Amino acid sequence: MRQKALSTVYELAKQDPRIVFIGSDLGAGTLKEMKEELPQQFFMEGISEQHVVGFAAGLAQEGFIPYINTIGTFLTRRSFEQVTIDIALHNLPVRLLASGGGMVYAPLGPTHTAVEDFSLMLSVPNMKVFAPADAHEMENLLCSVVNDPNPHYIRFGKGGEDIVTDKFLEFEMKPKVFGENNSKVIIFTTGIMLQHCLTAREILSQKAITVTVIHCSYLNDLSLESIIPIMGLASLVLCVEEHVPRGGLFTQLIHECIKFQIPTSNLHQVSLQGFFSHNYGSQADHLEFNGLTGPKIATHLESILKVI
Amino acid sequence: MIVDYTKLANEIILDQRSKYLRLLVLDALEGGSRGHLGPALSLIEIIRVLYDSVLSHDPNNPLLVQRDRFILSKGHGCLGLYAVLADHGYISTSELKSYCAFESKLGGHPERATLPGIEFSTGSLGHGLSVGIGMAMACRLKGEHWRTFVLIGDGELNEGSNWEGAMHASQHQLGALTVIIDFNQMQASGEINSVLSLDPIGAKWEAFGFDVVKVNGHNIVQLETELNGTRNSYGKPKAIIAYTVKGKGIISAENSTIWHHKAKITREEIKPLRLEVSR
Repeated sequence: MRQKALSTVYELAKQDPRIVFIGSDLGAGTLKEMKEELPQQFFMEGISEQHVVGFAAGLAQEGFIPYINTIGTFLTRRSFEQVTIDIALHNLPVRLLASGGGMVYAPLGPTHTAVEDFSLMLSVPNMKVFAPADAHEMENLLCSVVNDPNPHYIRFGKGGEDIVTDKFLEFEMKPKVFGENNSKVIIFTTGIMLQHCLTAREILSQKAITVTVIHCSYLNDLSLESIIPIMGLASLVLCVEEHVPRGGLFTQLIHECIKFQIPTSNLHQVSLQGFFSHNYGSQADHLEFNGLTGPKIATHLESILKVI
Repeated sequence: MIVDYTKLANEIILDQRSKYLRLLVLDALEGGSRGHLGPALSLIEIIRVLYDSVLSHDPNNPLLVQRDRFILSKGHGCLGLYAVLADHGYISTSELKSYCAFESKLGGHPERATLPGIEFSTGSLGHGLSVGIGMAMACRLKGEHWRTFVLIGDGELNEGSNWEGAMHASQHQLGALTVIIDFNQMQASGEINSVLSLDPIGAKWEAFGFDVVKVNGHNIVQLETELNGTRNSYGKPKAIIAYTVKGKGIISAENSTIWHHKAKITREEIKPLRLEVSR
């Protein structure tokens, strides 16, 4: 996903001299061709996230569209004030490309896992927050929002995710629905959890349990008004996200339900836990531990269905 | 010859225009019943010279493409900037009295969205330099020829982000970038040497790759000379260490932490300050 994102930025930059790429001491060879072909649009700055975000804001104030890429936690935690004041207060079109969303960097420990990034970025006025599920959706997203005037935060997955959004040819700022309009079970999800939720849907379909998965890659506005008819028929709604329990998709969902007077008594959540993990291993290990894999999501849904 | 710029800054007699600008600052301070007086009075000659005879700017067209960019990174010195902007016609002098009112254009820190002429909103310290570096780079990339000036407080240099920016300005050889340090040698809680020493201030900026000059920050001629120095797009960025006096021009506020920031200021407190300016 990161590779697709960066190559897309390169392709966009070829056509639009306003687009510049800014890295913060990324690995050697990052966008090597872009560096050689478009040296004026390529910046590899030092390990200095505060500076990099302010630098991007200055460029954006003068008409450029900077795409900053570094590890998500550094963009969100380290430079939160620069993101909020330099970029968001001035409503500048800076794109924060966040590598290692969720538990991708689990083996590197809690300093590197971006598990509250949605919460931080959704709290910033003007900031639009995106979590595509795969490389196809990432490319569509980047190509469709080039001229959007707001700042963006875009969470990357680990890379190599199965392509599951290819039936959607263009990116739209509304949820993508996988399934029928009359399911008793609805799953809301975002980012690379979509693949796991679709696996859960497949498992349950073999047990004659119909599930609709709603993928919210744009987290600011879930556009529930278009989904109210589907939700009205559901007896169980589950929110699945690779994020701490508060401040992410689940919180957005609660707000939207209240806004549209949709009952929340049948709303459940599976997420990361709300404390720092001191385990390492792989992202997959942590998804398994937190019940965020297809089989575990399916089992969880079945257990709830038995008691309602 | 070793020049004692601190002594020179303390001893210099202000001219009538500098006194007039200070009276405008007091108008705003009285209107808002609060504000950062000392930090505004130390930098007022710097901003005066910038707007009088250095910056390419147009009060009738604040977004003129070819204008020079000026960022007051030390946003809490905004009373000085507001006075100069009012004197140049960006706002009326009577508007100064609306300072900090609910619907005023003039907040306790300067905001681009509310006041035409403010290049970038500042307040939290340590932001202006990196933004200015981005602007200077944008100028180079677009092949334009305006200059970028960033005014930073000495206490503000406690923020590490400034030094991140300084390294990058030098790395990119942003010759059209000028950093001005309002070196009044005081911060909110006392003398900077008692809080966090910046010595040797000039050598620090030189070590970070800047051309460094020192000036008396209340001397109009010196400021005009150094701020107007020819700058090339590529080359070392410039740092001007402007030795100033916190609260300059109002004896009871000079070198005083009491007037760094004050709230609930009464009209009775302002009256003697006006008399001190007029002396």
